Amino acid sequence: MEGLVLKLPLAFQTLVTGLAIGGIYALMAVGYSLIFSILNFSNFAYGMVIMLASFLGYFAMSGLGLGLGPALLCAMLGAALLSFLNERVAYSSLRRRRAPPLYFMISAMGTSIFLENMVYATIGSRYNAYPELFAVPTLNIFGASIGKMDLFAMVFSVLAISALTFFIHHTRLGIAIRGASYDASMAELNGVSLDWLIGTVFALAGLFAGLSGVFLGIKYMAYPNMGWITNKAYIAAVIGGLGSLPGAVAGGFLLGVLETFVSVYLSSTLRDVFSFSLLILFLVLMPSGLFGKTLEEKV
Amino acid sequence: MLDVDCISVCYGQIRALRRVSLKVPRGSVVSLVGANGAGKSTLMMTIAGALRPTEGRIAFDGRPLPAGPHRVVAAGISLVPERRRLYANLTVRENLLMGAHLRRDREGIHADIDRLCGLFPILKERFSQYAGTLSGGEQQMVAIARGLMSRPALLLMDEPSLGLAPLITRQVFSIIADLRRQGTTILLAEQNAHQSLEISDYAYVLESGEVVLEGSGQVLLNDVRMQESYLGIRKKNGRPVR
Repeated sequence: MEGLVLKLPLAFQTLVTGLAIGGIYALMAVGYSLIFSILNFSNFAYGMVIMLASFLGYFAMSGLGLGLGPALLCAMLGAALLSFLNERVAYSSLRRRRAPPLYFMISAMGTSIFLENMVYATIGSRYNAYPELFAVPTLNIFGASIGKMDLFAMVFSVLAISALTFFIHHTRLGIAIRGASYDASMAELNGVSLDWLIGTVFALAGLFAGLSGVFLGIKYMAYPNMGWITNKAYIAAVIGGLGSLPGAVAGGFLLGVLETFVSVYLSSTLRDVFSFSLLILFLVLMPSGLFGKTLEEKV
Repeated sequence: MLDVDCISVCYGQIRALRRVSLKVPRGSVVSLVGANGAGKSTLMMTIAGALRPTEGRIAFDGRPLPAGPHRVVAAGISLVPERRRLYANLTVRENLLMGAHLRRDREGIHADIDRLCGLFPILKERFSQYAGTLSGGEQQMVAIARGLMSRPALLLMDEPSLGLAPLITRQVFSIIADLRRQGTTILLAEQNAHQSLEISDYAYVLESGEVVLEGSGQVLLNDVRMQESYLGIRKKNGRPVR
């Protein structure tokens, strides 16, 4: 009974913790949504790119002894390349044959299974902890304690997402991405090379995978099947409205906070049950999510 | 300038165009007339590079048409597609910028936007509004302006009057006449045969994927078959009845 009473300090602490994980969900959901918006399918292989990025960051820091900044850069660039290759190898030929989205999904699952097992076979199934970054890892804000790394991740997530928002609204390429997400063949008729554009979108999503991979690794360690945490990114993207970037951000933070409240006030074993129930609820009752617009064509 | 030589286009088993040939000389307005499903849009999409002919050749400025719509735009052909197909999630300004996607001359692009805003005052009024919120007539103006943003040598217009009120249709045709006076070469597909023949130098009539009739606009306007099938004029006791 006592646990159900909302004590203010505890509620605040929960909110802060929730926002920290929500920031990472938002990062993942943004990359996920970017790809969905242009190809209209859920790229499950995205989680594996995040996992590989997490390993890249881990090896950069503990193997090469790089600092956080250079390691982040390594992971981001590596993930961008991997994500780009993911599209070229697994999807581009399907795209040229105009295959239905289901084929893309199957190809994505195949890619996921391959990559995950490749890591099991070559690196091993161990959990790899990133080196400690701060001597005193937590910070006190208004009575709530927050990890310095969490704070950094949150600030960095917000910055990265703002930069992306600026990019897609104010650059020639960004406007082309938004145009093509609405009508790809029309974009081609306006001179957009879809091959090029889709490659760019995957590389861009890869940058976000790199960021979230390192942040996840620092928080939960790097391990081969961590890629499935992108289920959370999928849930976040559905809550916000698949394909909508502001939706992905809102969905990410919302899911992070709600989840944390459930684990603190009810039970941490119910956390994932809650998240997946939320997913089903949204898919059934509100399939276009909070921000998904249904735009009609005028005849 | 455009030379379509005996092309056929198929959707799977169905042949949508059969050995169609046509020419569009520089500086002229040529129209394609025909009922729904005659193959007008198929022909337009093929010239724009979005469909590939199974036989025949298309030459533009004496060179074979490049493969892929984005290369065709670069070669100087721009399509104003049927039903406008604006990007509803982009503003009017961004739609125009999409039209200028291949251009890098920032100043030239802005000068063209200003010029088109003069030609279509509605663009200025709705500049920052999402294209999806515009009325059909307004959307058509934006679609034409977007088509012109790439500075095409040849403008393809597919059913620009489709679904528009008569008053707006008249406006659209007067814009086409303006463009023609400015020297833009236009290939126009229209169901609205009367108005399109009046502003055309030459016209082709398509029926089930084949060219069945061709001639100058004036000649076709006075052609008996043409009058009966497309212009809604029946001859009764030797006098035309509308």
